[in-house]
Amino acid sequence: MANDILVFGEVRGGSLRKVTRELIGAARRVSQPMGGAIDAALVGALSGKAADGLAGFGLRRIIVAEDEIFARYSTEGYAKVLSDIVKSGAYSYVFLGATAMGRDLGPRVAAKVDGVMFSDCVDVRMEQDQVIARRPVYSGKVYVEIVRAGAWPNFISIRPNNIPPAEPSGGSTPIAAHASSVTQEAIRAIVTEIIPLEGGRPDLTEADIIVSGGRAMKDKANFKVLEGLADILGAAVGASRAAVDSGFAPAAVQVGQTGKIVNPKLYVACGISGAIQHLAGMRTSKVIVAINKDPNAPIFERATYGIVGDLFEIVPMLTEELKKIL
Amino acid sequence: MTVQGIALLTLFVAAGAVFGLIVRLLFRILRAGKPENRFERWGDRFKAILVYVCAQARVVTKPAGLGHFVIFWGFIFITIGTLDHMLAQIIPGFCLERIIGRSAGSAFTWLQDVFGVLVIGAIVVAAVRRFILKPERLAIDDPHAPPQAALILALIAVLILLMYGVKGSEILLGSERLTRGNAPVSFRAAGWMSGWGLNLPLAESVFSWGHNLIIFFFLLYIPFSKHIHIIGAIPNVFFKNLGPMGSLSRMNFEDETAEKFGASELRDFTWKQLMDLYSCTECGRCQIACPAFATKKPLSPFRVIHRLRAQLMRDKGGLFARGDAVLRGAPVIPDTVTEDEIWSCTTCGACMQECPPFIEHVEKIVDLRRFLVLTESRFPQEIQPVFKNLEVNYNPWAIGYSSRADWAADLAVPLASEKQSFDVLFWVGCSGSFDQRGQKISRALVTLMRKAGVDFAILGTEEMCCGETARRMGNEYLAQTLIQANIETLRKYTFKRIVTICPHGLNTFLVEYPQFGLSVPVMHHSEFLLGLVLERRLRIRRLDAVRGAYHDSCYLGRYNGLIREPRSLLSHATRRVAEFKRRGKSSFCCGAGGGRMWMEETLGSRINEERTRELLGLGVDHVFTACPFCLTMFEDGLKSLNREDVKALDIAEVLLAACVE
Repeated sequence: MANDILVFGEVRGGSLRKVTRELIGAARRVSQPMGGAIDAALVGALSGKAADGLAGFGLRRIIVAEDEIFARYSTEGYAKVLSDIVKSGAYSYVFLGATAMGRDLGPRVAAKVDGVMFSDCVDVRMEQDQVIARRPVYSGKVYVEIVRAGAWPNFISIRPNNIPPAEPSGGSTPIAAHASSVTQEAIRAIVTEIIPLEGGRPDLTEADIIVSGGRAMKDKANFKVLEGLADILGAAVGASRAAVDSGFAPAAVQVGQTGKIVNPKLYVACGISGAIQHLAGMRTSKVIVAINKDPNAPIFERATYGIVGDLFEIVPMLTEELKKIL
Repeated sequence: MTVQGIALLTLFVAAGAVFGLIVRLLFRILRAGKPENRFERWGDRFKAILVYVCAQARVVTKPAGLGHFVIFWGFIFITIGTLDHMLAQIIPGFCLERIIGRSAGSAFTWLQDVFGVLVIGAIVVAAVRRFILKPERLAIDDPHAPPQAALILALIAVLILLMYGVKGSEILLGSERLTRGNAPVSFRAAGWMSGWGLNLPLAESVFSWGHNLIIFFFLLYIPFSKHIHIIGAIPNVFFKNLGPMGSLSRMNFEDETAEKFGASELRDFTWKQLMDLYSCTECGRCQIACPAFATKKPLSPFRVIHRLRAQLMRDKGGLFARGDAVLRGAPVIPDTVTEDEIWSCTTCGACMQECPPFIEHVEKIVDLRRFLVLTESRFPQEIQPVFKNLEVNYNPWAIGYSSRADWAADLAVPLASEKQSFDVLFWVGCSGSFDQRGQKISRALVTLMRKAGVDFAILGTEEMCCGETARRMGNEYLAQTLIQANIETLRKYTFKRIVTICPHGLNTFLVEYPQFGLSVPVMHHSEFLLGLVLERRLRIRRLDAVRGAYHDSCYLGRYNGLIREPRSLLSHATRRVAEFKRRGKSSFCCGAGGGRMWMEETLGSRINEERTRELLGLGVDHVFTACPFCLTMFEDGLKSLNREDVKALDIAEVLLAACVE
């Protein structure tokens, strides 16, 4: 078995998802001691355009399967083309993101090529020519470390936001077009439409930064204030249950015990008092900034930074200042 | 014997035989249910018959119940009179008066005569209520129910009129038995009839036959109508739950042959739960007491029982059915009871508190939840993380169990593991441990106990969720795991009593832990603090400024009768305590019970806002609670109604504010 590594890059709307750079970072950890080459595989309608973004990462080649048939994700079509790509090379490792797409694809492709699957890992390292992958179990109380025994290739899916993304090293990478043999007949379930929730912002559960509003937003229209800040930060917009119940925000963006459980790097809580039902959904955020009129609001006990004041004054001010810097 | 006598005897025997077969079938249906022990404390059971059947103690708590009292007793007197009359026709010379004596017989005749009029009056009132006033209490979504009720009411009225017809004819024919003294109404009737030019002997036998035929019709119709409660309610009162109101049955997970857990069809209920279905009078008292119904959710306890009985009537076998054919196995969910109904229940128990024949609604709903959770793994998605959090971190909120005692760190609260032996084990509970609002209650109680010099300790990180909320959400397996782990921990230490700030913990320690072998004295902090005040271990100066209403928590007041204690405590702490209209045992749920705390409330309006509006109507500036979950629900309600000027406080916080050094 050669020591080559394949990184499956996720393309969305013609650009690469950030997790792809993290996967290259993971692949480098394996390739450096082992000395194999890294390829990237991009599948999708605009994957050729997305390939440009990977030019400077010292890859051997970027395999692009660009076809109208991949314009929308299909489990069967993508699994077929990816397993063809895996078979066409001599890969010992295949890295995927533990994203909705990677979780769907990884086990299926691994089964097609008789490989081994490590799902949902948060770390990989090399020890004595052996890849050790680490994954959390029991809601993160315990980690298990897994090593391959038996078949090749070894598929590893890695959770976003866990491995530092690879930095570009310059240079260029040749692009190899993959002629797909996937036909429309091979795809039995077809996505006909994707209905976006609110345009332009990252998913709550994978966002690095979340700006959230509570009942103090007073009105649906006032969420514009938060959206302004979110746009500058590239953040997702969330809401507390009180805000959702009052009809200020859709239920899909509710953060808390009965909504989404989030774990961003930065959580900006605006006009959220911080009842335990809300804390249960965001308390593990790395940095919490709280803006609230009430100095006794329980959110301040959790917050890394607190601003006591009216969010309708503070948030626009913050947005203006950040505009200057960013 | 006359020809009429022979005809009557034949009918009497035939109707009696068919009725006997029907009752035998109803009994066999009960036998198809699961076993349940309701065969202890016979004396208390007979007492329940005297109080709740003879005196109709629960029925008469509502004005409409007085009508029932009259119809109930009227029906008994008149039925005995009817039997007397029938037997006289069958056995020549038979007369009740000869058996019980002349004066007793005469008194009995008077009772029949007078009750007849009262019953007609009660029926007119009932008909006006049911068909003209149409109170929400009686509202039902089954179009067959009102005509059934109308038929019964009309037949009873006709029955009484025919009785007066018979007696009037007898008087006109020169009866010795009936006098102006013992049959005043019949004499008035006779007066009217005398002008009608009737053939009296013929009239008497027509009236008498009409009367008898209606009675036979009743006998055979009743078991298949809502008036089955005439048969079912009395035994249901007799076999009522004499134990604590708030204990759910313990499931047996050791049984390796069990193929399903919980109830999914009628046969999975116990015989007593099936007997409940024979007992519903469709009075609707449960319905208007139910917080889910009041907030336009799909649940009405009344309609659940009504539809379960309708299913029982559909699924029952024929009169000669035996074995499994007695009650066909058919799913209850979703055609008879929907999942939305099952999950709308807060287990507040208001329905059971109101029910005159003591139907136990909550246990049935929890049994259905048990099936959904344990067998089908089907439940509102938002409680999946709650179950997981309880399994992994022993609290509902996904906060690491190791931080359970963090709230107490700066207070240097002693741990049980350090002291081993102490007077009071302060059971902090999940809310008191993790919720910053609940922590304030814990801190207040710790401060008060310190002031009073109480020797206490907490379990710290050894404490786990008491299991109450998992149990009521139907996850009995998880609940038992938590209960057994806690019992092992509690057995390690020596203490006199548990004191808790949470009525849910209180209830579960009082009535559910004994099922698993641990019986320890448990006190809610309201009664414990009251004791400290009365013993003058705490010095209190009444607050003038704090004016509020006390809200009874379901599991404190209704389930465990702690109604006076928290009020008495508050009266020491503040001068003004207002009362909700719905209070004490009839209090209205805050919306958090039965695991509803952890679920989204998307159906209907919000229960906590309903209760908060009731609070705001009292014009007070505080609400006093004795349950951390009620407190949360009020704070949320006050926020969403934009009345944050009104504050919610736990009674321990009020007492601490009033405490002098």
